[in-house]
Amino acid sequence: MTDPDRSYCGPLERVDECCYRIPRSYKPGMRVDGLVFADERLLPHVRSDRAAEQVANVAFLPGIQAASLAMPDIHWGYGFCIGGVCATDPAAGGVVSPGGVGYDINCGVRLVRTSLALADVQPVIVQLVNQLMRDVPVGVGQGGRHVFAPAELRDLMRDGVDYLVRRGLATEDDRACTEAEGRLADARPELVSERALARGQDQCGTVGAGNHFIEVQVVDRVEDERAAAAFGLQHDQICVLIHSGSRGLGYQVCDDALRALRDAPTKYGIQLPDRQLVCAPVESPEGDHYLGAMRAAANYAFCNRQLLMWQVRKVFERVLGRPWEALGMHLLYDVAHNIAKLEEHDVDGTRTTVCVHRKGATRSFPAGHPDVPERYRATGQPVIIPGDMGRASWVLAGGPRALERSFGTTCHGAGRCLSRTAATRAARGRDIRAELEHGGVVARSRSRDGLAEEQPEAYKDVDMVVDVVHRAGLSTRVARLRPLGVIKG
Amino acid sequence: MHEVFEHTADLGLRVEAPSLELLLAEAGAGLFEILAGDMHQIRCRDERTFDVPGTDPEWLLLDWTTELLAAFTVDRMLFREFAVSVHPAGLCGTARGEPYDPAIHTLAHEIKAVTQHELDVRRTATGWEATLIVDI
Repeated sequence: MTDPDRSYCGPLERVDECCYRIPRSYKPGMRVDGLVFADERLLPHVRSDRAAEQVANVAFLPGIQAASLAMPDIHWGYGFCIGGVCATDPAAGGVVSPGGVGYDINCGVRLVRTSLALADVQPVIVQLVNQLMRDVPVGVGQGGRHVFAPAELRDLMRDGVDYLVRRGLATEDDRACTEAEGRLADARPELVSERALARGQDQCGTVGAGNHFIEVQVVDRVEDERAAAAFGLQHDQICVLIHSGSRGLGYQVCDDALRALRDAPTKYGIQLPDRQLVCAPVESPEGDHYLGAMRAAANYAFCNRQLLMWQVRKVFERVLGRPWEALGMHLLYDVAHNIAKLEEHDVDGTRTTVCVHRKGATRSFPAGHPDVPERYRATGQPVIIPGDMGRASWVLAGGPRALERSFGTTCHGAGRCLSRTAATRAARGRDIRAELEHGGVVARSRSRDGLAEEQPEAYKDVDMVVDVVHRAGLSTRVARLRPLGVIKG
Repeated sequence: MHEVFEHTADLGLRVEAPSLELLLAEAGAGLFEILAGDMHQIRCRDERTFDVPGTDPEWLLLDWTTELLAAFTVDRMLFREFAVSVHPAGLCGTARGEPYDPAIHTLAHEIKAVTQHELDVRRTATGWEATLIVDI
């Protein structure tokens, strides 16, 4: 049954088979239309919560360009929906909003290739997953092996993965295969609070809880041979997917910013339909402060995933008895899906620097874009889309229409369709771990409810989500990966 | 009393109490129930006090629960009992509990933050009620 207080009953006008419009006329105060990428199959999900209302609310933001956008994995978030994209023009009074990035600044994923085949790993998958669970900190309250003093943390936040290269915990190749080469310029670690530093000092190199995980996967379908070859992927190949973000440090940076910006809308005369959209002009002391601290937290997140990968490599070395280099454990790519960046885009035919907010959305730059690493420039950047722990994840390539339609952006995952409590209810009387094992997935979780809350049925079918972004030209299918083993918080 | 309710990716907390002070104390208990699950595992061996400035009941609720969460995330404190007094310039809160010890405590959820999303504090015919949502 649809609850009118918990669902979206407003307009969704069909633009084409993969896109629906919330017209600017829906609410007085909207500066642009809302555009939701979805098809008929996903529309009931889009209407099932208030996320589309949030797409309309984001259209109120000063300086917003083109449209308030949402990807097909859209669901209800704070202020901005998850799957939301918004580009603002600083020169036109455009704002930056912490709600457009989210609490987990630079939450993202990285995919590690190996030279192993399914037959190499299948016999040791239980041992491998158990060893990952022992050696990689996962779950709430778990501190990491790498503890950084405040001065070291500031260097790490300023220099990103470069700092870990200097410390011998990353290679030049790792750095080159990370979005923004693992370092957002103009990070301002000095603006990160003492409380954030305290939360972050022992968490770099930890998975965390919630929907974060490390998953051993196998390539079960290649859809684009040319792109797969460029990405170093082939059928039957083992990969490892790592999903985490900036941990407590990033959450605190967001919390600090929301508090510091409470009075900014009044100060700058900004009318907002939802206080969670609190924001300040990019070109203001408040906007500058948030962006500086946010970039520092983003660099921390790149380092977190790098240290997680470093530990995963050690686990594989231990279980398989060969150095990680001999196992071909090279980083394919690392992508952020909660971030705000200043990027150049064509807006109404004019090259414009805009502040692109991606909240639960992934950069998807196409072939030829200068920000795509040279090794991938002929195919478009790798886009990594985690699905759920029972079905599949995807590797896509930056799509030909992404720049014109979505400021170079695509989806970030399957998107939840069951709340945590509903998923736990649905799991009562069942053994989710045994069900996954029966389906060929060895799953380990630190917490009592972790597997229940994150069970496959809690998520939309990622194949369906990926189908929409593929047909919309936002990103194109390269390879599908099936899970073999997963550790979660 | 308090109850946990569902929200797409996260969890919400609904609290009712006869006074604002009791409402804030009850919200503390609800927060740590989400975090730790079973409250009986937490012993009241240590006490912390919190001074939170402000006059708006919604901001007071948000800032008080945020301070409690910080005591866990920074100092690893788990709390079970809470008392709050509200004065014209803010609140003074006391929380009793003990440091987190993985050997004796299990944790249920990692709370990233207490959010402003649907944050609501209001008077009712019988007292006060509040809603808040935590990011998991």
